[in-house]
Amino acid sequence: MEKTLEKAEDLQAAPPSLGKKPDWLKVRYNQEATEEVAALMKDLRLNTVCKEANCPNMGECYRKHTATFMILGSVCTRNCRFCNVTCGRPEAVDEEEPMNVAKAAKQLHLKHVVLTCSTRDDLEDGGALQFAKTIRAIRELCPGTTIETLISDMKGRTESLDIVLEAKPEVLNHNVETVKELQKAVRPQAAYERSLGVLRYCKQHSPDIRVKTGFMVGLGETEEQIDRLMDDVLETGCDILTIGQYLQPTREHYPLVRYATPEDFARYKKNALLKGFHHVASAPLARSSYRAWEALEDVHGLY
Amino acid sequence: MKKEIVIPKLRPEMQEAVVCAWLKEVGDPVKKGEPIFEIETDKVVTQVESGFEGTLVEQCCEEGDTVGVLEKVALIEETA
Repeated sequence: MEKTLEKAEDLQAAPPSLGKKPDWLKVRYNQEATEEVAALMKDLRLNTVCKEANCPNMGECYRKHTATFMILGSVCTRNCRFCNVTCGRPEAVDEEEPMNVAKAAKQLHLKHVVLTCSTRDDLEDGGALQFAKTIRAIRELCPGTTIETLISDMKGRTESLDIVLEAKPEVLNHNVETVKELQKAVRPQAAYERSLGVLRYCKQHSPDIRVKTGFMVGLGETEEQIDRLMDDVLETGCDILTIGQYLQPTREHYPLVRYATPEDFARYKKNALLKGFHHVASAPLARSSYRAWEALEDVHGLY
Repeated sequence: MKKEIVIPKLRPEMQEAVVCAWLKEVGDPVKKGEPIFEIETDKVVTQVESGFEGTLVEQCCEEGDTVGVLEKVALIEETA
């Protein structure tokens, strides 16, 4: 089902509540600060995952003049049950997009750029070439800026992954999203083993690139399943892990089961660091790209 | 001069929000960038900041009220 066909009232309805939202899920919003970045993106016909995913951190990040670019259009070919990005028939790839992303990065004086995408199963290379072109455009306009690519699984095709790896981003990020047991229910067109395979392949073929992944909690996973997920991810050679609270975008999305507490997140972090991850961002509002430069700085001297 | 603080449009489909808490009372001084009230949206609670410096002179709704996007929530008498 295309999310665009949902009734307006469904989009308005808040997801089934677990009672009052906990105090740690509070964010600040400032119209003026947000509009500046929003206007720049509109001028350059760019999308951000911040806006498309209705990210709760958008106010904070836009105020700090950071954003995560979503290349390859705002319409996704997959309909993951947790995600707010619109699913449907995507638009043609914008040839000017790579240079426009670089221009925006330059105007925002970004020292670290995060690029993500809508999943483009309709494209032979999954959009890999657009990633590579965008990396090269940023290298040209913004020398010294580091780049993180948050990619789809690109159907696990190594030819596609090679195109991204050859463009040498500093960080290669691909999210496993949830524990093995919930994959089918939460991201039906993806697969646990395939995502682990993407991480493993990238680390093996480009050992000097920092590999990163993330998952959400609150979807009904158990502590044992989380523990096993960390082991499975670590075994791929992954360096950086992010753990955040799942927040249900609308009542049509996968139901929220629980709010993990800040203490839970602290425990996950401690456990992950003990297991051997080099950097772990674990907090209720931690997201893949939230304060991504801090993670990179932390692992910078590793290789 | 009186300035309006409205319910921000946080995403394109958003049409209304519940004002869940007032953080400033009538007569309170307000600095630019200070949060004035909280709205509950689908994912989180958002504290809406003032774009002006002055005094809160009117709360246009009560806690628990549903208010449409871009509708007035508070009036600030701006400091000249």
